[in-house]
Amino acid sequence: MKDLRNTIARTLRLGVTVSFALTLLGGVVYLLHHGGEAAPDYSTFNGPSVEYTTLRGILGGAFHLTAYGLIQIGVVALLLTPIMRVVLSLFDFVRQHDWLYATITSIVLAVILVNSLSSPL
Amino acid sequence: MTILVFTLILLVGAYAAGLLGSLTGLGGGVIVIPLLTLLLGIDFQYAVGAALVASIATSSGSGSAYVKEGFTNIRLGMFLEIATCIGAAIGAYIAVWLDNNIIAVIFGLVLILTAANQLRKKVDHGEVKGSDTAHRLKLFGTYPQPDGTHKAYQLTHVGAGFSLMTVAGALSGILGIGSGVLKVLAMDTLMKVPFKVSTTTSNFMMGVTAVTSAVVYLGRGNIEPGIAFPILVGVLCGALTGARLLRKLDVRLLRRIFSIAILLVAANMIWNGFAGKF
Repeated sequence: MKDLRNTIARTLRLGVTVSFALTLLGGVVYLLHHGGEAAPDYSTFNGPSVEYTTLRGILGGAFHLTAYGLIQIGVVALLLTPIMRVVLSLFDFVRQHDWLYATITSIVLAVILVNSLSSPL
Repeated sequence: MTILVFTLILLVGAYAAGLLGSLTGLGGGVIVIPLLTLLLGIDFQYAVGAALVASIATSSGSGSAYVKEGFTNIRLGMFLEIATCIGAAIGAYIAVWLDNNIIAVIFGLVLILTAANQLRKKVDHGEVKGSDTAHRLKLFGTYPQPDGTHKAYQLTHVGAGFSLMTVAGALSGILGIGSGVLKVLAMDTLMKVPFKVSTTTSNFMMGVTAVTSAVVYLGRGNIEPGIAFPILVGVLCGALTGARLLRKLDVRLLRRIFSIAILLVAANMIWNGFAGKF
């Protein structure tokens, strides 16, 4: 249990650090390019934009170091952090031959995956 | 207002949200939503996306320390995450059919529960006789005491706790917040888990629960980069400062003052919701 605790603690810290760094970098680029412009109108919801709500748009943007791409890839890294935590726990339960918890962890993972497949992402 | 000024306002607000969220144990999302909607007039749809980002950031940022120190009951969290994740998936789908004003009223009601829970006297359960189900699921655990020893505990009412967790997950999917209050109520009041274990385990579960609905919200455009950037950066820094201060400060008075503030925000949300202002 102690090993698992350390693995989970390390995963969470690493994920948060990576996400923070990417988002901050994107944010700095965003402010350098657009800081002086008038703030967008967020008072009504505009719905999705291919640029930052599809995986392809986000990856492409991050690859070209655009501000939105970098910020959203930071958000994606943040989303992946708890998921990685579940995946690593699954490995650990399997290694310990704790089949009950390997099953429980797989169910959690399955719920997340099935739900992501239905996402418009 | 320029983007620079807007971003700085959000950064400061998010920092305060992260700080207060970690000092009071509520998480960042609860403060981010009223900050964005009531103070800055941002659409609820964006606020929910920002709250999800804040919830995952607080959960993962402060979670690592609790897990390492051994307060979090990982098995219990894992097991109950089945319920919260299914709930969150359902919640994210229900949310599409809900008007912003209805979401505001639901949020206000959750805030009232939250304030009541903060003011409630916390008594640790004496010797709890654990149930067979809890035993078979290997949910009993130990947690560290101030003197360095570990105290063993048992727990009970797994089925009832699991059901309430589904509701907590659904609310989290609709509102983007961790709905820590329902999780703590389920674990503390129903399952008789020691308070320190139920709060840290609730925080631990928040990340995975929020991710389940966040994947859908990201695709729907609720997570707007111009808002996500200051929220993520600010909340994380605030939560880190909060975790440091928590070791030195006595936060009981702060929690009381904060509960009153939450009640005022709740009244405002419900009033504006019924008035159709959102």
